Amino acid sequence: MTPLLEVTDLSVRYGAVPAVSGASIEIFGGEIRVILGANGAGKSTIIKAILGLQRAQAGAIRFDGAHDLRRLRPHQVHRLGIAWVPEGRQLWGTLTVLENLRLGTFADRDTARAERHIGEMFERFPRLQERRNQLAGSLSGGEQQMVAIARALVSGPRLLLMDEPSLGLAPFVVRDVFALVREINAMGISVLMVEQNARQALALAHWAYLLETGRVVESGVAAEIAAKDSVKEIFLGGRA
Amino acid sequence: MLLLLQQVVNGLIIGSTYAVVAVGFSMVFTVLRVINFAHPDIFMLGMFAGLAAGTYVSHSFVVVLVLGALGAGVAGLVLERLVIRPLRGRDVLMTLIATLGVAIMLENGMALLKGPDPVPYPALLGQAALGLGGIRIGERQLANFAISLLVLALASYYVRATRYGRATRAIAERPDVAAAFGVNVDVISRITVVLASMMAGVAAVSVGALYGSASAFVGLLYGLKSFVVMLVAGNRYFEGVMAVALGLGVLEALVTGYISSSLSDAVAFFMLIAVLYFRPNGLFGSYAA
Repeated sequence: MTPLLEVTDLSVRYGAVPAVSGASIEIFGGEIRVILGANGAGKSTIIKAILGLQRAQAGAIRFDGAHDLRRLRPHQVHRLGIAWVPEGRQLWGTLTVLENLRLGTFADRDTARAERHIGEMFERFPRLQERRNQLAGSLSGGEQQMVAIARALVSGPRLLLMDEPSLGLAPFVVRDVFALVREINAMGISVLMVEQNARQALALAHWAYLLETGRVVESGVAAEIAAKDSVKEIFLGGRA
Repeated sequence: MLLLLQQVVNGLIIGSTYAVVAVGFSMVFTVLRVINFAHPDIFMLGMFAGLAAGTYVSHSFVVVLVLGALGAGVAGLVLERLVIRPLRGRDVLMTLIATLGVAIMLENGMALLKGPDPVPYPALLGQAALGLGGIRIGERQLANFAISLLVLALASYYVRATRYGRATRAIAERPDVAAAFGVNVDVISRITVVLASMMAGVAAVSVGALYGSASAFVGLLYGLKSFVVMLVAGNRYFEGVMAVALGLGVLEALVTGYISSSLSDAVAFFMLIAVLYFRPNGLFGSYAA
């Protein structure tokens, strides 16, 4: 079976500083996979390299077995069906909620279909419907995360890249976000998530990677990774 | 009182031209992160394209406006392709110096062709004046004002209500995120430079018809003031840029009417110092460069 996304021996440097060194990850259709790691481990850099926002020095990134993402520019990567929920939401704060969602459908030239998808998002997130004409920058953190997720989903992606979706959110909002990730996955969308909230991410994911200083040091079924003493020690607050 | 009203009207008319040039300047800066010092000379090229059109093609004001805009648009496209695009992503100073070099070449090239002194512009509009309760507005002034307002309204519609306009604002705020959501940043950048140039071309023909002359160095004054307007307003809201440009025009006219015309060109710089001292990001805020 061909992976939906296959990253092989990826190396990325910022100037002379290596951020990712020979990392290999993959995700199959219908899966949730999580990349765990401390700050600076290179998790977000992998996401940016997949999106074409960060140039990789070596390695291969293939989507659906056919597309070499390293040869594509970010807007072309998106058009293959890869959407992004960035770290810290990164909404267009001076644009309204509706405008943010419309930009999520920018690549879709069928306006009627795009508007239908936006309507579906408003049904899923009634709070956003109420705030559709409000500037995105004026929303609460939880509402902004809803917009960020809805903006990614309106394009009808096959793969969703989520960068620290729980960052800066209240614990009850984090629970909602993780429940939403499960729902998104149930819709048939594969999710590759970068997360520091290891406990909840491991409970959700099918497969996990541990990243240290740009290298994958562990990978395996999420439940097995969660049971490892070294992982409990570092990510789950000590031995259970 | 009558003098005050007359000066306000005069100021709004000149300010509306500043607004058109300044919005173009600001659009290019916010989308491409390029201080395009050649923009005022695209304005100048638009004026001379209009002059050529008025001399050799037609005396219709509308035809000359369209050809002036097209001339400026083509000049903008060439500038984007040959100078701005190769330097995208480099230090902002690099494009600033490159476009400044283009500006010097264009001004002196045109001075070489047409001479350094102003040359007469085809008479595209009548000289009649309207009287409104003692305030006099010339037909040319009225046309200049109406055209500027129309261009500003169209620019505002474009950025607020169209798909590409939304993408323009998205790039202005977060270019990487826009690209990752399917926006081809290069295409929007090119469209932005061409639109800004066409706007400058329309304003330039309108100014040429208003004052009856064209000069190789006409862009200098409009360019500097537009740059100041962008800094004073900040580049977050194009409508803020428009408001500050109109305000600058009115202030200049009041200084001319009540103090001295020799001080009017200094108003912009007093305004710049005063505003940036208290609000370094401009009156309406700026996106991070």
